[in-house]
Amino acid sequence: MLESYQAQNQDRSGSPQKGLLKIFFGYAAGVGKTYAMLEAAHQAQKRGVDVVVGYIERHTRPDTLALLEGLEQLPEKIIEYKGIALKELDLDAALQRHPSILLVDELAHSNAAGCRHSKRYQDVEELLRAGINVYTTVNVQHLESLNDLVASITHIAVSERIPDSVFDSADQVELVDIEPDDLILRLQSGKVYQKQQASRALAHFFTRDNLAALREVALRRTADQLSKKAQKAENEITAKAGEHILTCLSSAPSNAKVIRTAARMAEAFHSGLTALFVETPETKELKGENLKRLRDNMRLAEQLGARIATVYGDDLAVQIAEYAKVSGVTKIVLGRANHRTALFMKSKPLVDRLTSMMEDVDVYIIPDVQPLYKKKRVLFHKPEQEFSWKDLGKSLLLTIAATGISFLFYELGLREANIIIVYLLGVLLTAVWTNGYIYGILVSLLSVVSFNFFFTIPRFSLTALDPNYPVTFLVMLLASCLSGSLATRVKRQARQSAQRAYYMELLMNSNQKMQQGQSEREIIQIAAQQLQSLLDRPVMYALLEKEQKICFHVVPATETEQVMGRITAEELGVADWVAKNDKHAGATTNTLSHAQNLYLSVRGNQEVMAVVGIPAKFYPPLDAFEKNLIIAILDECGLILERRKLRAEKQAAEMETQREQLRANLLRAISHDLRTPLTGISGNAGVLMEKSFSLDESKKQEMYSSIYDDAMWLINLTENLLSITRIENGTMPLRRGAELIDDIFHEALSHIDRRAAEHEIHVELADDMLMANMDARLIVQVVINIVNNAIKYTPEGSDICLSAKKENSLVRIEIADNGPGISDEAKRRLFDMFYTADTGSAGADSRRGLGLGLSLCKSIVKAHGGSITVHDNQPHGAVFSFTLPLEEVKIQDV
Amino acid sequence: MYKPKILVVEDDPVITNLIRTTLDTQEYQYHTARNGTGGILDAVSYNPDVIILDLGLPDMDGVEIIRKVRGWSSVPIIIVSARSEDQDKVEALDAGADDYLTKPFSIDEFLARLRVALRRSRIDQTAVPAQSSLYQNGELRIDYAAGCAYMEGKEIHLTPIEYKLLCVLAKNTGKVLTHNYILKEVWGTALTADIPSLRVFMATLRKKIECDPSAPKYIQTHIGVGYRMIRQ
Repeated sequence: MLESYQAQNQDRSGSPQKGLLKIFFGYAAGVGKTYAMLEAAHQAQKRGVDVVVGYIERHTRPDTLALLEGLEQLPEKIIEYKGIALKELDLDAALQRHPSILLVDELAHSNAAGCRHSKRYQDVEELLRAGINVYTTVNVQHLESLNDLVASITHIAVSERIPDSVFDSADQVELVDIEPDDLILRLQSGKVYQKQQASRALAHFFTRDNLAALREVALRRTADQLSKKAQKAENEITAKAGEHILTCLSSAPSNAKVIRTAARMAEAFHSGLTALFVETPETKELKGENLKRLRDNMRLAEQLGARIATVYGDDLAVQIAEYAKVSGVTKIVLGRANHRTALFMKSKPLVDRLTSMMEDVDVYIIPDVQPLYKKKRVLFHKPEQEFSWKDLGKSLLLTIAATGISFLFYELGLREANIIIVYLLGVLLTAVWTNGYIYGILVSLLSVVSFNFFFTIPRFSLTALDPNYPVTFLVMLLASCLSGSLATRVKRQARQSAQRAYYMELLMNSNQKMQQGQSEREIIQIAAQQLQSLLDRPVMYALLEKEQKICFHVVPATETEQVMGRITAEELGVADWVAKNDKHAGATTNTLSHAQNLYLSVRGNQEVMAVVGIPAKFYPPLDAFEKNLIIAILDECGLILERRKLRAEKQAAEMETQREQLRANLLRAISHDLRTPLTGISGNAGVLMEKSFSLDESKKQEMYSSIYDDAMWLINLTENLLSITRIENGTMPLRRGAELIDDIFHEALSHIDRRAAEHEIHVELADDMLMANMDARLIVQVVINIVNNAIKYTPEGSDICLSAKKENSLVRIEIADNGPGISDEAKRRLFDMFYTADTGSAGADSRRGLGLGLSLCKSIVKAHGGSITVHDNQPHGAVFSFTLPLEEVKIQDV
Repeated sequence: MYKPKILVVEDDPVITNLIRTTLDTQEYQYHTARNGTGGILDAVSYNPDVIILDLGLPDMDGVEIIRKVRGWSSVPIIIVSARSEDQDKVEALDAGADDYLTKPFSIDEFLARLRVALRRSRIDQTAVPAQSSLYQNGELRIDYAAGCAYMEGKEIHLTPIEYKLLCVLAKNTGKVLTHNYILKEVWGTALTADIPSLRVFMATLRKKIECDPSAPKYIQTHIGVGYRMIRQ
């Protein structure tokens, strides 16, 4: 399951620099794959490409070994295994060396225990991901989907196999071909095997017929790979849209063959392949061999590129049919007779029922030559089912109760039919109140016996005189068995649907909760909590941050010490590997399986967002269903995380553009508007320096005051610019504290323009203890700006009134004037940056103003969490009003 | 007549020139230093009545100079700085500075502050070292021994905290006291959470001693920094 998930994600996570894979493909040993590979390596080296030999089988023939001369070879990794030194490809050294092309012989090889991956093709995949091009060799019998086809030709089963997807994803496949006759000649001359081995091989494997057949298979497979790649390039979706093949997973040994056949068909039809696992109560009880086989089959299906789906239900046929209908399946591939038929209910074989339910779907039956697995024998007598004294007691009690009531009925002179009904009721109740139908059957038997013993004539004996009785007994037994089994079934189904509902709810729930997470950290934490409650074990999680080490957190936090105590550097290494390679690894997987925990990557569409660790060593193994659910939750989590991240990035980018814009506007405005006062200052000062003697005193005074005014204007502008950089940059936090509004007003008024002398400014404060929470300097700036504006845009002698009042948990500050007021058009744009009341009118230079003041006020008030508005004063004028959070004063002691 | 001696530590020639011209018009004696080390040396050798100190000197931080000077002298120090952040002012005041001016400042303001500082310096020099039990500032009189305060001869009724506040301000007349300093002196703690209460007490105190609280004569507010008792 995990691997198929990876396969799906490979494409979207694949970085553009992924290495290319070239496979030298042969139909049998000795065709010269390794030779061809080495020759190609020499050619590449001649072209100046950096070629390194990663691993070559040592028992390779001498001519081939001679070709190694002149090529750089990586030292092999020696692994001690049960006293034998095994040589393997040194993956880390290869990654370290990072050549342009690396030669790795025998793609289908299984690594010795202690290597990072259990299969060599996984090593190769990692090399490719690291951007290293790989040359490798493989024989046709090692392809997973062709495995049993080849076995049927040669009668030799090969245990080392590679998934077809690896083969199909190769960028180049070079078929190393040789006439079968030549190959046999080569064998005879001892070029391939030693003499003795050769004769045995010749007798068994290398017969001319065999070789011809294998060659044909290899040729056809190569052609398939080519056309498949071409088609993939054309349009993958349409190719898949036509057909959809469904096969079923089971724990039967023959199931592997069914899966392979289905995979081959999917390939031939270029269709999608789904392997469906119907989880029934029986499958939940699978143990040991059977469970392992089921898992193996599941893994096989994944390796063959099937999508795994799990459904729950009692009735195989119904579940399969429903799934097929929903997902548009066109062909179903089934093994024959490996699904049991239920007692009493469905005497028709599964296949018949399926075909009758789905008329437009082709059903393919794969004959089953292997022995049936022994499910039938365990049907009635379930060793897995726990025998319970409690249930037995219940059954006996119910029988006794039924007998008691029957006695009562008998005494009352009621007829036998009623008594039979009472017993039936007892059986039904037993089925409902106990687990498993042996108790139902037991009670049925007991009922018949006690009915016979107590109520049939002669009473209190097991003989029955009336010839009708045997029929009655039989019917009674059948009826009670049937009703008991029905009741059990109903109960089981109820339990199942409850379970399914629980899981669905869990998924929905997780999704909703994760959506509500405020930060990335919170989202992944929620996912971990969901997993923790689902799996009933602590779960570790770590968000990945650029250039930072993985730092795990644990849910629940109380178990942090216990869980983290077991985390060694090696475990962290596994987690790191998962993060880098975007593949699941650790316990229960094929990669780094010696780890204690299972590590799963949480990925979005682009990259790995986080890593989750699930302890496996000290807990019961996860079933397929749980894994499915884990992945569904993590997948969802990854997408949510990514969405969140992308949104944040987009916002940051937008803010950056806005800031850019602001900077550009500021510069433009400043360069235009600063020149005017600066010209005034320098001009006046220049005249005063050079011609002061020729100027009269009043003229000089006028020039002094104009220099002073310009300078003051520049000072005010500087203050505003400073505040703007503070607010807009967001680099400096607000320095908030409680301030008396009274103090703020006085401070602000002491900085007002000198022109204010010509205006009536007064303060109206109902409560001079009124306090608000604010950054005093910034709010003073706001008041100054608004009052200065009022002075600037109202005629001399106008009133300006500053007031403040409490409004619930806010303080509302109002600055009102009785000037001409502000037009509605202007009100709308007043707080925009670079808007000035003169904008658009002819005399843009007549009155100065960058149009920063009010927009700054708005930013400041907003940064305080308040709002600023403007409305008309009565009878005329304008009122600027803004809010600040109220500060309640608690006096501790007086 | 005694001409007060003023030490100006400032690296910017234009500002130095401006201050020099201003001081000339007022007939003060002065001496200028261009950097921190020179400033400290001059503070020892020249024995000024007031030091005017720029925070942004080329060789060392102004706050450092304040700490050094305060090591041996209580001469009033007025900070002149282009740093407008309140935090910088508070830091300098807490280090022992008496007052601050933010560039750009007006000459009138500068001279007023200078006079306040000189008055403090003169009182410090003439007052008997043992603390007087009586305090007089304009119409405000405090009798430390009796624990009473009077305004225009009439006793003002103060709560214990208000009285403590008034005393702290009075003992540091002319000096800007930071919120933290006042909190520490009056409440014994320096939790910023107490600043709201400080404001309330200050406002009630003001109402009792100022004839017109909206135009305070005695207690001056420095937004974001602290308070100061003004010498009348």
